[in-house]
Amino acid sequence: MDEVIFLEVLEGDGVQARHRLERFPVSVGRGYDNDIILDDPKVSASHLRVERREDGALVVRDLGSQNGTFRVDPWAPLAEVVLTPDARVALGDTVLRFRPRSHKVEDTVIARMAESPRERLFEQPRAFTATLLVLVFACLVSGYVTNYQRTDWGDLLTSGLIPLGVALLWAGGWSLASRISRRSFQFRTHATLGGLMLLGVTLVPAATATLGFSLSWHWGLGFLTKVAYLGLLVWGLFWHLRYVTRWEPVRLLRVLVVGSGVFLLLTYIPTLLANEEFSPELDFSRSMLPPSFRVARTQSLDAFFQDSAQLQKDVDSLAKEE
Amino acid sequence: MIVLIAVALLAQTPVVAPVEPGVPPGASEAARPEAPPPVLPPATHELFRKIQGRVAQVRIIERRSGTKSSIGSAFFVSAQGHAITNYHVVSDLVLHPEDYTAELERGAGTVLVRLLDVDVVHDLALIQTDVPAPDFFPLDDHEPAQGTRLFAMGNPRDLGTTIVEGTYNGLVQDALYERIHFTGAINPGMSGGPTLTGEGRVVGINVSTLGNQVGFLVPVAHARALLARVLQAPRKQVDESLLPSVHQQLLENQQRLTERLLASPLPQQPLDDYRVPGRWSSFLKCWGDTAHEPDTPYTVTNYQCSSEEDIYLSSNHSTGVVSYLHQHVSSRELGALRFASLYSSLYSQDPDSVPATREDVTNFRCQSEFVDVGGLPVRASMCLRAYRRFPGLYDLVLRAATLNASTSGVDSSLTLAGFSADNARKLARRYLEGLSWTK
Repeated sequence: MDEVIFLEVLEGDGVQARHRLERFPVSVGRGYDNDIILDDPKVSASHLRVERREDGALVVRDLGSQNGTFRVDPWAPLAEVVLTPDARVALGDTVLRFRPRSHKVEDTVIARMAESPRERLFEQPRAFTATLLVLVFACLVSGYVTNYQRTDWGDLLTSGLIPLGVALLWAGGWSLASRISRRSFQFRTHATLGGLMLLGVTLVPAATATLGFSLSWHWGLGFLTKVAYLGLLVWGLFWHLRYVTRWEPVRLLRVLVVGSGVFLLLTYIPTLLANEEFSPELDFSRSMLPPSFRVARTQSLDAFFQDSAQLQKDVDSLAKEE
Repeated sequence: MIVLIAVALLAQTPVVAPVEPGVPPGASEAARPEAPPPVLPPATHELFRKIQGRVAQVRIIERRSGTKSSIGSAFFVSAQGHAITNYHVVSDLVLHPEDYTAELERGAGTVLVRLLDVDVVHDLALIQTDVPAPDFFPLDDHEPAQGTRLFAMGNPRDLGTTIVEGTYNGLVQDALYERIHFTGAINPGMSGGPTLTGEGRVVGINVSTLGNQVGFLVPVAHARALLARVLQAPRKQVDESLLPSVHQQLLENQQRLTERLLASPLPQQPLDDYRVPGRWSSFLKCWGDTAHEPDTPYTVTNYQCSSEEDIYLSSNHSTGVVSYLHQHVSSRELGALRFASLYSSLYSQDPDSVPATREDVTNFRCQSEFVDVGGLPVRASMCLRAYRRFPGLYDLVLRAATLNASTSGVDSSLTLAGFSADNARKLARRYLEGLSWTK
């Protein structure tokens, strides 16, 4: 071993304390006459000594302690042991590790956060204003269009302002978290993100209605809607969390995607496995849009009634199931 | 809705049958001398004392509890102990023979009853006791004149044999399933009892009521046919299930109904700029109305037709229904998008479904497409569910909404209950072809 070595007091995988040893012998124990004092009740007052032998090798010698000293890997009680790099020694509940100055450390981790100082789109003040305006506008339009009774302007205004309030409250929560963990509120950014998420929530039903009507697409539309909402949530949480935690983006994304995937499975598997409940309801897509939105072609009556042969087969097999 | 008059005892509440105190029993005799009939009938109270033994109470006994779960009436039609009652009185026996038995209470005591056959379309059943019945009603054909005084007998609400006076008002006009209109109080528990003329001849079998003295009877001819059928071809095994027979009757009935509908052209009813299926057959009753609400920016006009009758299979399963509803909606104030959301909400409202349970039918399966109906683009959705007990019979619901204009349209629903898939398809197709636009 080196002229100078380091004695590390371990705690789990981490180092609790590190001592530079230059002059030997060094005494270790609970007593205050030691060079290194360990506050471990199972360590003797004068427990062990690190000293240089005549041949130059550094050794650890037990000084007749009450509970003994052990080599860790492999586990063995010892009276004296020659120190090798990374050697570990246990005494009482404490583990000591010895490392020379020549110990190789791992490569520096490249910090991705630090290397992208450019401002993201939704961090810009303009984006904040624009998003919230678009959100209010979209909610007003959807409130107006989905109401076919006489327009109540008071209700309509409320339907535009409530999402705005929700977005700002949501942003408030996140910016507190940002402040606590990263010492900066980032309120505007969080509000922009919240606004974009709410905008998505407003647009998803419109998109599925259009898909269901225009293309006459019915298969798996419910599942698609759910996936769209979940995707929106994952996207929003990802960016919110980027301003709260210091996790690597890849790790964050992985956690969120796996989490939402598990959520989707857990909510879908029971419905897939469950018996279908009896219901006299008719299950088909009810969305209607103006005739000019129709893209799918009309079928002939012949084709329509030919298709119903499949229906008949389906209900026949249901009847046989019991 | 027509109320069937078998009584489920568990749900029974003491309701006093409407009695008219102003009419003493002798009133009918007092009126007689003005127009003396060729043969003077005996006084009615004497007559009924004589024939009281021909009417009995049917009790449906649930095997596990050993007590009656519902009651009805029956009357003897042969010396061998044959008696007629309603199908809906004994439907539990047909559908769950392992859970129910029936007995007949004849004043002196109860006797066990065998179920021989049913006529599910006309709501009749033929039962038999092992004890011979010396006194019975002969079932000869007899059609009294309108206004003839009739006497309905039965056991309303388990109060003992009762006689209710009323008048004959002929066959119900344009009925899908033949019924006599009897003006008199028919009450729960009188189901299956006979309605007689003053001479003691059976005119019909009590079957249902609309309340307020509007009662319905099954014409006696159907009971005679049922009795004749059983006497001609007695069933070999007593325990044999009646389900195949019911199945066959339902199949024949829907075939008859389909042929009747397809034989007549579907008239078109004008509804603003549209033509919609109108009153297809005389058995359908059609109604129309427009909601006049001053504050709505649109108008909805309804036009609906229904047979208003169904075939009773069990207390929660009906079949043999044809009904449809058109809703014409238009707006001058709403834009295309707002009209579309109004149209969506109309298209989301389905007509009342025909009652059925998990035991009776499967869930619906639907298909939804854009269909070209003679140049008119229509969004059509067709749903089908199968009968579990009667393979080959289905309920069909067709929903259609026209898509030719951006602020007006017709939303239409057709309900067919208890048809074969092919017949339902044929009818639905003819129905869809009845939609058109005149501009």
